[in-house]
Amino acid sequence: MRFTIKHANLGGERVGTLTGFMKSPNTVIETPTAALLTQGGSVTHLTSEVLSKVFTTPQLLWVPLSNSVQVEPGLKAQGQGMAKFSGLPEHIICVSQHNMSEVTPPGHFELEKVPLWTKNGKKMITAERYMDLMELYKPEIFLAIADGRTALNEGYKRVLKSLDRSCNMFDTCVRRYKASKLLQNSALVGVVVASGLSKKRDESLNHILKSKDSLSGVALAGLTDGTEEANKLASKQLENILQTMGEAIPNDLLRIVEGCWNPALIMVAIEHGWDLFDGAYATKLSNAGHALTLNLYTGSESRDLCILDLNDERYKEDFTPVLSGCECLTCKKHTRAYIRHLLNTREMLSSVLLSIHNLHHFDQLFRHARQHIAGNTFQVYKKHIIKQYEAFKQYEAANGIINNDSDKPFNGITQIKKKIKVSDDEIPTINVVNGS
Amino acid sequence: MASKSALSFHVKAECKVSKARVGLMKLPHYEVKTPVFMPVGTQGTMKGLLPDQLESLDCEIILGNTYHLGNRPGTDVLTKAGGLHKFMGWNRALLTDSGGFQMVSLLKLAEITEEGVKFRSPYDNSEIMLTPEKSIEIQNCIGADIIMQLDDVVQTTFQDYDRIKEATERTSRWLDRCLKAHKRPTEQNIFPIVQGLLNKELRTQSAKDHMSKDVNGFAIGGLSGGESKDDFWPMVSLSTGILDKNKPRYLMGVGVAIDLVICVALGVDMFDCVFPTRTARFGCALVSKGQLNLKQKQYEADLNPIDKDCECSTCKNYTRAYLHGIVTVETVACHLLSVHNIAYQMGLMKSMRSHIENGTFPEFVKNFVSEYYPDGNYPSWVVNSLSKVGINVVKN
Ligand SMILES: [Zn+2]
Ligand SMILES: [Zn+2]
Repeated sequence: MRFTIKHANLGGERVGTLTGFMKSPNTVIETPTAALLTQGGSVTHLTSEVLSKVFTTPQLLWVPLSNSVQVEPGLKAQGQGMAKFSGLPEHIICVSQHNMSEVTPPGHFELEKVPLWTKNGKKMITAERYMDLMELYKPEIFLAIADGRTALNEGYKRVLKSLDRSCNMFDTCVRRYKASKLLQNSALVGVVVASGLSKKRDESLNHILKSKDSLSGVALAGLTDGTEEANKLASKQLENILQTMGEAIPNDLLRIVEGCWNPALIMVAIEHGWDLFDGAYATKLSNAGHALTLNLYTGSESRDLCILDLNDERYKEDFTPVLSGCECLTCKKHTRAYIRHLLNTREMLSSVLLSIHNLHHFDQLFRHARQHIAGNTFQVYKKHIIKQYEAFKQYEAANGIINNDSDKPFNGITQIKKKIKVSDDEIPTINVVNGS
Repeated sequence: MASKSALSFHVKAECKVSKARVGLMKLPHYEVKTPVFMPVGTQGTMKGLLPDQLESLDCEIILGNTYHLGNRPGTDVLTKAGGLHKFMGWNRALLTDSGGFQMVSLLKLAEITEEGVKFRSPYDNSEIMLTPEKSIEIQNCIGADIIMQLDDVVQTTFQDYDRIKEATERTSRWLDRCLKAHKRPTEQNIFPIVQGLLNKELRTQSAKDHMSKDVNGFAIGGLSGGESKDDFWPMVSLSTGILDKNKPRYLMGVGVAIDLVICVALGVDMFDCVFPTRTARFGCALVSKGQLNLKQKQYEADLNPIDKDCECSTCKNYTRAYLHGIVTVETVACHLLSVHNIAYQMGLMKSMRSHIENGTFPEFVKNFVSEYYPDGNYPSWVVNSLSKVGINVVKN
């Protein structure tokens, strides 16, 4: 994989491309962009058939190991990598350790292992085991393993341990990566930890940069452990960290921000030269029954808020599309009233329709950002987006709605289990047929 | 009075041996090929599938439940939306039930009188009376192509003759009230429901009563409620023997593959059942020999599709091993299995239609039965029902 900067402005924001993917040489992923968050290898709520109705070209998928590692036996038997195994062979995948936005219980640590919170509970894994799994996943891009799930106000001792452990694990990753035949077409991304302490953060970055020859990018961790409190704290200090780190990371490396950050923070990150986001924000909105309805056209005002809570009774008889003028399948064929009914009756189609719209619109947010960067008008666009987001927060505050947005923890699996309404004891006994 | 213009039915081909037939049922929203299986989309949605996906699966008519839709989103919303078709974005045919069955089966407190079904709302505990007129009023709002009369429902295994007789006769009286209350006879068709449970005389009487009415099709009700299969099939056979050959016959609540095959042979044209989509939620996939429970560990490294001969998007793109890893955890797994299971049902109906048209239906049935019961132990009801329509499946 190759990362090329096509246009960089003095302010730091830049437009680039990811190209040179072995399996699809013609694919170009333009940055800044957001990946599509997956669960169990599938784009959350969307089958490959439905995904092809939303995007007609190969997309960058964000594949957390934690929510997909249960497919290991099949993945191993098939031997062709996670994209193919999960029915999405034409797409580009970026594998990370966790879904950064998901809450994980505080865990104990062992010398050379970090906990991976999977659907089957906690699994302690080493860097060696992590690299074994990468060889099975065969990702186009993957993040090095790190002990990075710490909040900004984490205790000093814990941060030191996290830095130490992450450095050691990173070295193992690099050694294995260089030696691996199976990972020759995969790009390695280093993970900066200890983000709450500027000196330790620099140490972390400097350690990673010692292996710069093997690196394609740098990702930022050590911002949050996924809890509401840590997310809140991180939101407040993020701008400063993104700016300092943006300046410290060499220009030619892809810069990745993991986590469920709101559109205003995303604009700030883009301004400081960050290129890639994990897409958790769009998924979280869909899971909550919310639709992103930002007006992406500078110079025009919109009457609606930039986030609609379609659970609200007010949409009961609103037969207009989620966002008028939106080109997505949901907006072309369905109404707010129908989605509200599906949410009210807890039908799974609500998540499908909202995912289709939110993923499309979130993608448009980045597309417009790239156009503004290329046209040297990004500042205007950034202000336009932030203004809408501020108006939404003000509306929430004025109406006593307590942050149902960014700071709230993300809960993938439990939320979805509730939707499917399946508990193991409900499984009926049935005839068993031998495989044909 | 029902108008013929809301439904026309042409029998295109008949099996020379059994009572099976292929027909074309022209409805206001779609021309439906019969025999047809109608997947159940209770609340105005088919378990996570887009209307576009249902169309690619060749679904031509789907079911909605009046009881659920009348509560949520409610008739006000549906009227303002211009009916359920527009509300859910489904352009093909729809059928709604009367709501009576749900009340009796869901609610313990239902009380049935000559006026209607009285029950307490599970939403706000208020007392509600569902009369034949009310049921039709709601169904007129929903706007389905085919709507059901309100019938007096008795548990199929119920024994008390007087109560069964009362229910059967009341169903006929309620049919008259439904037809009288019907406001959109040029756009919607009321189907009467043949009752009488397992009693031959009462069921005959019920079918004959309904035959005298100006209706465009018939439903066979009161079956598939826990009775034995040996008790079930003679009632289907009896009903199709009496009902007008030139009108479609709908057997309510039947959808398991072997039942579909036998009842098509007995002359049934339409079926509905929640089974294919419900079983999908539990991680079960339908195959010609029954079903696969993909949760089982034996599939964790099985790289076959669910069914290598299936043309559905799930079987083209996914292995059993992958599905094993995500069933009952990810919504995507439900969607994938629903797609396959509906494709299975649609495929079964399609092959029955083509075998009837090609004159090879009896051979199809024999093959199907021998594959379904590979040990050759055919249940008596299978043997007897098929022999009744001239298909001999006993091995020589
Ligand atoms: Zn849209
Ligand atoms: Zn299939």
